[in-house]
Amino acid sequence: MCAVCGCSDDVHGAGHVHHGHDDAHAHPHSHAHGHHHHHDDEPKRARSIVAVEQDILAKNDRLAGDNRKWLGERDIFAVNLVSSPGAGKTTLLERTIRELGAGVPIAVIEGDQATDRDARRIRAAGARAVQINTGAGCHLDAAMVARAIAQLDPPRRSVLAIENVGNLVCPALFDLGERLKVVVSSVTEGDDKPIKYPAMFRASDVAVLNKVDLLPHVDFDVGAFVERVREINPRAQVFVLSATRGDGMSDFYAWLRGQAAGGSAA
Amino acid sequence: MHELAIVHGIVDAVTERSGGDRIVRVVVEVGRLTAVLPDALRFCFEVVAQGTAAEGASLDILETDGETLRVREMEVA
Repeated sequence: MCAVCGCSDDVHGAGHVHHGHDDAHAHPHSHAHGHHHHHDDEPKRARSIVAVEQDILAKNDRLAGDNRKWLGERDIFAVNLVSSPGAGKTTLLERTIRELGAGVPIAVIEGDQATDRDARRIRAAGARAVQINTGAGCHLDAAMVARAIAQLDPPRRSVLAIENVGNLVCPALFDLGERLKVVVSSVTEGDDKPIKYPAMFRASDVAVLNKVDLLPHVDFDVGAFVERVREINPRAQVFVLSATRGDGMSDFYAWLRGQAAGGSAA
Repeated sequence: MHELAIVHGIVDAVTERSGGDRIVRVVVEVGRLTAVLPDALRFCFEVVAQGTAAEGASLDILETDGETLRVREMEVA
């Protein structure tokens, strides 16, 4: 450990020198301290190291905590739906709203870079929806969801589905205040998705495999997919279904009803 | 570009603590499991830090194995 900057020597290795300190040791990448070549023409000012020790996402996590508290106080089951683009998140929600809507009130927050097409589909299926457009952004964050919740004002004891931007990388990092994260994959994507995008599968509580009606037409090994999910995340619950044809939906509904009713009835 | 959001978090964390001092160096820990690219962080940092107490500061990134994303320390002048 370098006593001046706190970096570990085995991480860095060679090439950085703390001017003005006694421990001239080496690190592998250049590790500019901003004062290397200015000693002669700058007035000497005392430099000091200040410990910060703050999680970079602390602000988002705090806002997510506020969302979670607000939702929890109203017994609203919030689920963060993540997937690559086109895995079928919206279709899964549409069918669920149509078949379950009367028994379990569902409201939806839709995240996309552009257009309100998904929110319109959700409304056509019979649920209330608010569309968030992230523009250049690749994920939803807790502040966006807080604004959408205020606009949507979901009723007590309902389900709030937050459909994230289609992206298997960035949304894994941003807590929105949901109770559970559900990752949706489809059989047209390849059965190695869990090991190619481990962060997302590790962060998720539930993995849905969608579009199984297409299995006769694609080279996809359902057993291998499930095994890979378990390898990355042994606690994840897996549902294998087709949101267009209806295969496997009843198990998914039973799970959703259980979650909406009380939480742990998974 | 989730790195941009990460960098806003870094700049906020250090500028809130700088007390008017100029920040010349920031040390962050980035876990390899976080899917955050160090090069993209450096690129965004330079841009986001402009006009703040951290303008011109260098960004040292300690890559670790886990899922940590943390500002460890800063050097002020």
